[in-house]
Amino acid sequence: MNPSKIAIGLIALAGAALPLASVRADDTVKIGLEVPLSQPGDAAAGQLIRRGAELAIEYINTEMGGINGKKAELVVQDSQGRPEVGVAAYRKLATEDKVIGVTGFFHSSVNIAVNEVANEIGVPTIATQASAADITAKHFDIAFRTHAIDPIRVEAFLEFIKKKGYKRISLVAETTDYGIGITEEMVKQNDAGKFGLELQKIGFDHAATDLTPLLLQVKAFKPDLVINIGVGAPLDLMIDQAATIGLLPDTPMLISYDAPVRPQFWQLHPKDGAGIYFIVYYSPKEELSDIAQWLTKAYQAKYNESPIYSNLNGFGDVAILAQAANLAKSTDPKAIVHALETGKFKTWTAAPVTFPRADGVYWHNWSPPILIVQYTKPNQDWRDAELIVQHVGAAH
Amino acid sequence: MFSTELFLQTLISGVMIGVLYALMALGITFIYSIVKMINWSMGEFYMIGSYLQYVLVAYWLGPDLWYLAVPIAAAGVFVLGLALEPILIKPMFRQALERRDEYATVVTIALLLLLRNLAIGLAGPNQYSPGSTLPTVMLGPLPVAGASLAASLCALLAVALFYLILKQSWYGLALRAVAQSRIGAQTAGVDVFRLDQIAFGIGVALAGIAGALLAPVFLVYPANGVVTTVKGFEIIVIGGLGSIPGALIAGVLLGVVESLGAAFVSAPYQNVYGFLLVLLVLLLRPTGLFGERGRQA
Repeated sequence: MNPSKIAIGLIALAGAALPLASVRADDTVKIGLEVPLSQPGDAAAGQLIRRGAELAIEYINTEMGGINGKKAELVVQDSQGRPEVGVAAYRKLATEDKVIGVTGFFHSSVNIAVNEVANEIGVPTIATQASAADITAKHFDIAFRTHAIDPIRVEAFLEFIKKKGYKRISLVAETTDYGIGITEEMVKQNDAGKFGLELQKIGFDHAATDLTPLLLQVKAFKPDLVINIGVGAPLDLMIDQAATIGLLPDTPMLISYDAPVRPQFWQLHPKDGAGIYFIVYYSPKEELSDIAQWLTKAYQAKYNESPIYSNLNGFGDVAILAQAANLAKSTDPKAIVHALETGKFKTWTAAPVTFPRADGVYWHNWSPPILIVQYTKPNQDWRDAELIVQHVGAAH
Repeated sequence: MFSTELFLQTLISGVMIGVLYALMALGITFIYSIVKMINWSMGEFYMIGSYLQYVLVAYWLGPDLWYLAVPIAAAGVFVLGLALEPILIKPMFRQALERRDEYATVVTIALLLLLRNLAIGLAGPNQYSPGSTLPTVMLGPLPVAGASLAASLCALLAVALFYLILKQSWYGLALRAVAQSRIGAQTAGVDVFRLDQIAFGIGVALAGIAGALLAPVFLVYPANGVVTTVKGFEIIVIGGLGSIPGALIAGVLLGVVESLGAAFVSAPYQNVYGFLLVLLVLLLRPTGLFGERGRQA
């Protein structure tokens, strides 16, 4: 067999095995979803957001009557958690697929890079779970967000630290926009608020697997608290390796986002997960909207588990874009942007969402509250975790 | 901040991880020695080894019998290598090709993409762990996960076994003959194409063993072979292409340099220290610490 034919055949197979965009249909209105579906991105998060987004399309077509009388269609692209891939994916969605908006962003570095291009092309973006301040701080007309931003997240951290009386804090952060953003915000707020905390800042490459040398440094520092600012595999590796060297459970660890709510968490950390503090974005006692209740039933029926924040927000953001297009009575990007800025939208929370042209990082931002909870025993459902702090940011 | 205890802990950690990286490098360098090509998809065979280990432990053997799962996982990867070699690699040798190295690169990179995306599609994006019931052990001042220590020791055992087979068995003699002179071995009646197939299988099986051993330590997910592949290539440059002792020593050296650099210089640049070592070796000894200049007719 000719080797060149083998090579071409393999490449074709490799391309066919890649995650594909949804099959297009004529006479539909397309909404773009850009999520990490493969490493080095947090592919589990991407899949969760995608599930919510797909159910949103079903909701739009069956309950909302579509978008401007047409069926809605989701077009999915994999950002891989890499800015350059994310930019290429956005360009394809905006210029070839002609989507009315792109949402689903999870990695801040991807969202920041995409927004620079989106600012030229004009198709709006909604950050679903990306929190770096720069996503909206640049006041691009096209940039929107429905997630907690770093300043609010760090306010919650500091409220927790103050409540517990901690003084020595180790920040172990991946060197991405997310990790660096949170670290810098912690330093800034610690200095501004005169908390008097002694901060140890340790960075690591997101692709690193052996974190033991860094954690040995952390252990030598003898912190009161370790804040785990890894995303995806590094988060889990840090928990495991910290437990191995005896850092856990003696030193409390706070996970910087809601990864521990995923069912996978206890499979990976059956013993070391108890005692971990982590963030969640809504209280189980919180009343959800009617569309969230629709989603909960549909999600439970399809996946045999309850939806979590990633599903809810992925669902909500797609629904918001559909509502914006209906409000604008148009699929023109400028009209959608105007509608997003001026309208009130239904999402998974009882209260409606708005995107005001607010000052600073709060531009076009809606933020859920941030709760810090703790698993107190193994295999605990996140809804039963002990509530430590419930923080609502200034712009909420 | 320097302390003797931290230094020793980091040193031990670096040695242990270096042994495992060396196993990857051994697979790469062995395939190169025999088949005369670089297999860029070694990380994916590492990944397959880790998934096989997870499935065997989670669904059949249980964490207590992890040591039975490792050779089964390695055998699985070996068989896969045996199956793929005649389809992908052999045609390059059957025909007289001008750009064989380029074809090998294209084919193995395409294989890398295929295997990784198949893993994403079939296994999903979540991370898994086969778990381990081995207790934490104190190695001097360093608490070490039982699974990590077992992985390092088994890696050393695998290297020793591999070396023994290469030196003492007929197949080992034949493989060394092919590595030395392909035409000479062929003239002596050795079926070099059959040996290519076996060598490819053994090489990827070594990566599979590393993946199986590290599954409870570094988790199981579709891209878990990426970093170890890069380390493998760094090691063969440092140690010398085709040198087995070179792979082991260079692996340990790389592990130690990266660990000490991360602990005492700057943690975010952990991977950079390895590349700096590569550059230094290339400047001072381009063939690697134990490599030899090749001669071609």
